Amino acid sequence: MSAASEHEVIDHPILDPALAPPFPVAALPLLRNSQLRKNVAHAIDVIQAKRARLVAEKRDWQTLRAAAAAIKEHVLENLGVYLEQFEARCTAAGGTVHWARDAADARRIILELLRKEKADEVIKIKTMTSAEIQLNPYLESNGVRAYETDLAEIILQLGGGEPSHIVVPALHVNRSQVREIFARRMGIENLSDEPKALTAAARNYLRQKFLSVPTAISGANFLIAETGSVAIVESEGNGRMCLTLPRTMITLAGIEKVLPRFADLEVMLQLLARSATGERMNPYTSLWTGVTPGDGPQRFHIVLLDNGRSSILARKTERQTLRCIRCAACINTCPVYRQTGGHAYGSVYPGPIGAILTPQLEQMRHAQSLPYASSLCGACYEVCPVKINIPEVLLELRARVTDDERHQVSRFFDPIYLGLRVANVIFSRAWLFYAAQRMGRIGLRFFTQKDGWIHSLPSVGAKWTQTRDLRGLPRQTFHGWWADRQRRMK
Amino acid sequence: MSPVTSSRQQVLGRNWAAMRNPAATAEEAAEGYARLERDYVMRGDMTAKACQELFVERLREYDAEVVECAPEELGATIAAQLQSSGRHTFVAPPGLSAAWLVPVAWQISGFEWNIDHDLPMDEIDKAEGVVTACFCAVADSGTIVLHHSATEGRRVITLLPDWHLCVVRASQIVETLPEYFDRCKQPPALVTWISGPSATADIEMTRIKGVHGPRFLQVILVRDEC
Repeated sequence: MSAASEHEVIDHPILDPALAPPFPVAALPLLRNSQLRKNVAHAIDVIQAKRARLVAEKRDWQTLRAAAAAIKEHVLENLGVYLEQFEARCTAAGGTVHWARDAADARRIILELLRKEKADEVIKIKTMTSAEIQLNPYLESNGVRAYETDLAEIILQLGGGEPSHIVVPALHVNRSQVREIFARRMGIENLSDEPKALTAAARNYLRQKFLSVPTAISGANFLIAETGSVAIVESEGNGRMCLTLPRTMITLAGIEKVLPRFADLEVMLQLLARSATGERMNPYTSLWTGVTPGDGPQRFHIVLLDNGRSSILARKTERQTLRCIRCAACINTCPVYRQTGGHAYGSVYPGPIGAILTPQLEQMRHAQSLPYASSLCGACYEVCPVKINIPEVLLELRARVTDDERHQVSRFFDPIYLGLRVANVIFSRAWLFYAAQRMGRIGLRFFTQKDGWIHSLPSVGAKWTQTRDLRGLPRQTFHGWWADRQRRMK
Repeated sequence: MSPVTSSRQQVLGRNWAAMRNPAATAEEAAEGYARLERDYVMRGDMTAKACQELFVERLREYDAEVVECAPEELGATIAAQLQSSGRHTFVAPPGLSAAWLVPVAWQISGFEWNIDHDLPMDEIDKAEGVVTACFCAVADSGTIVLHHSATEGRRVITLLPDWHLCVVRASQIVETLPEYFDRCKQPPALVTWISGPSATADIEMTRIKGVHGPRFLQVILVRDEC
């Protein structure tokens, strides 16, 4: 056991925003974990380089982005119309559409469907939405065993880990850690740590499950209103197994996933694979429409999940959050994510998109520290294939967090809000402002060293000087210097 | 009111309420949709020959193997491919022409065709390979598109066998993805877009060929034009 724990980077991060510690607290142990940071940086560098090369070769990248953003924005403005269209067409094609207001609603609907199928086990295609509603632990506690089938998800499920990325959820785990998990949980002796051998082990482990488990759960990349179809984008073929072999298919999809027409995929598919994994196209994309006699599952259910999404629609700036196609390009390019990895975000959605999506899905009741987990450098906006202006939304959310906090009675004596109230009084009266400047210059003189720098300040000021120095105030303000100059000129 | 209906009304109700124009109708949405700007490349500018070459190059980058042949050589080429694969049991969809299938049987000993007239899953799983046609191919991304018609087969037959031989006619190759969508007069009910053999990069971003889908993708390009 001691040998195993030496390798243990998969500790137990909390990805429930209601329970997770604030970002700066959660990030500290991760910043001290050099193995984890090395794993994350390596994976990110590889994806980034591949993406950059393939985006550069695409002449119409910017016009594709513009079209994708326009289509998604149009959908959000007419979401009700397209959802009803999807429901009608999917139902006509033999599917059954369910509506879920929140996570609890969705979990209950899915469990009821599984009970009707008398299912005690289920195979799953990787879906972040099911992680969002914490479906697996719920099914487990109700006697249904859920088998993840995506390689990264198997690594996490068998190793008891949590996802740290939305496209490659186990990027924080390296090959020797995977080898240890597989050898222990699959009972394979002499397993090599070559990715090829590890992949083969996963193939053998799952083959029988694919052929025998009659019920599957998936997410969705796109829903097509025109036809009632569902599209899933993947690489390994585990998705195709799950959506072809079982008798019953249950798909869980956020309401924002709908596209007006089949042909809109010509925009989305060109953007998604390049942005997500740096490939011209992912190995497999599947699309199905309700039930096709003789081919694939003969019972199809889709659960349309709201869970806080429609409350985001009402706000014009924040609405763009729902354009997201979950490619993770913003995560891969984020300088903050690169240092901390995904677990610090306390949510299944990490990185810049998580920083804006999570607090909004939580109706701003939790995860208030996430809008601050950014340097506002704007790299995420630049790479986003659907042009979500993430910095703009971050600022909007910061304003909402502040507005919320400053009216709380318990924060009345909070040094920051106290200081800001005092500043408000001072800045609105010129004589007070000049007086404060003079006082400040005298006061700060006690902390200014001979080199002209302030190296440490007490109280709230320490928040600044803990990590950087502050220049001492000059002898004269610009205003004062200008007045002197005018006098001299005369 | 059942709980299901009430959830539906609540979700939709919230959507309508959140919109600037709560009375938006399907007609208004359609008008707005028609006005969306699409300035991306709809149609490529390559010659047919260059387009075929690009398609082959892309396939090889994905580790798929490609051979080319003239239309009259197709039967013999399929036979040669099956023979050199070293495999013996193959599945074929019911719509494939006999001219594709016949020359094989008398060239390989112990050879077995299983035509998929609703074959049980374990039969398909036992097969070592599968031969199909396709609906279309996209050169730009090296993508083969199946609509699962009678010549492309049910989805399961191109999934369980480890080796997929796909016949692509040169006239089926388009340069860009939008050109494929242009060829779909009616949106199909089932589609599989295949770009190379199944793969993963989940362990240290090292691309490994072959996880759950066919580990080998073999393409015969039939020069039926130019």
